[in-house]
Amino acid sequence: MGQFALSVVGRDRPGIVAEVSRVLFELGCNIEDSTCTILSGQFAMILVIAHEKFSSSAEIDPFFDPVRKSMDLTVSLHTLKDEEVSREKGFEGRPHIISVYGADRPGIVYSVARELARLQVNVTDLNTQVVGAKDRPVYMMVLEVDIPERVDMKELEREFDKIRKELSVSISVRPIESLEL
Amino acid sequence: MAVLPIRIFPDPVLMKKAAPVEGVTAEVGAFIDDLLETMRCSPGGVGIAAPQVGMLRRIVIVDVSAHRRGSQEQNHGLLVLINPEILAMGGKQVVREGCMSVPDYTANVQRAQWVLVDALGRDGERRIIESIGFEAVAIQHEMDHLDGVLFLDRVVSVKTDLFRRKKYR
Repeated sequence: MGQFALSVVGRDRPGIVAEVSRVLFELGCNIEDSTCTILSGQFAMILVIAHEKFSSSAEIDPFFDPVRKSMDLTVSLHTLKDEEVSREKGFEGRPHIISVYGADRPGIVYSVARELARLQVNVTDLNTQVVGAKDRPVYMMVLEVDIPERVDMKELEREFDKIRKELSVSISVRPIESLEL
Repeated sequence: MAVLPIRIFPDPVLMKKAAPVEGVTAEVGAFIDDLLETMRCSPGGVGIAAPQVGMLRRIVIVDVSAHRRGSQEQNHGLLVLINPEILAMGGKQVVREGCMSVPDYTANVQRAQWVLVDALGRDGERRIIESIGFEAVAIQHEMDHLDGVLFLDRVVSVKTDLFRRKKYR
């Protein structure tokens, strides 16, 4: 069995999911995992698909040519090695939400991400958006991260303080408390 | 006592309505012991309902006293609720819930902030319990199981409320 990462991007309109899933269905591919979203009017799909016989993405790729043409979609595929596919997370840590917002300026995502990477904090979800009035844009970023036990939260706060001052942004960090029922 | 296997979605038993318990017999007591042991052996587990182990009876157990946040709020410790009925509820709160029967997802679910519940206890005595905060969420989640309702049925928006489980314990 081969597994593949498939990504599809195109101007949002009805029928993209139907066309992509039709191609997969007719090929006999299973959709193992997927997420779709709309970013600035672009519909974006990322899927992990599996097929019993195909082992190389090149065998599947040409079947998407018709939808590339008819719906003007950018479709890319690559083969995943067995060891790359995991349903379990590879990093330990306590889940937290980090919200960052402030007047739009370059470097907000990078400054925060660089600090998290230095502390070996794993980003598991990230959403950014520009909101607010056109002449006064506000940048908003919400991250979900796993913070390892060994990370000193006071140190993290001190580093975030520097970013707060440097970029005039608000940053808040709070644990995600979930109930296991 | 014994740890019972947890039924996992889409097991049809999770979508069925549970029947009231006729009397709190020794047999029911033994089942409650097993249900409690099953809940305790699940890491972080703060609640369980009888249908989650395939028993279609109106029994739930909740105990948030060992939970990080739950322990800091008002709570009743171990609560065994037989044939529970919600008499009144009010307020709103959104809490991220996970479920032993739906291992792949967690979701933000809106629940009442407080509930007033009429139920029989482990001893068969009727009591009225007022619960707020995390404990009230746990009670509502577990009582949903008695009516074949999963927290997934209460998700309002996939975009903002549904999360792939990132933490495997």
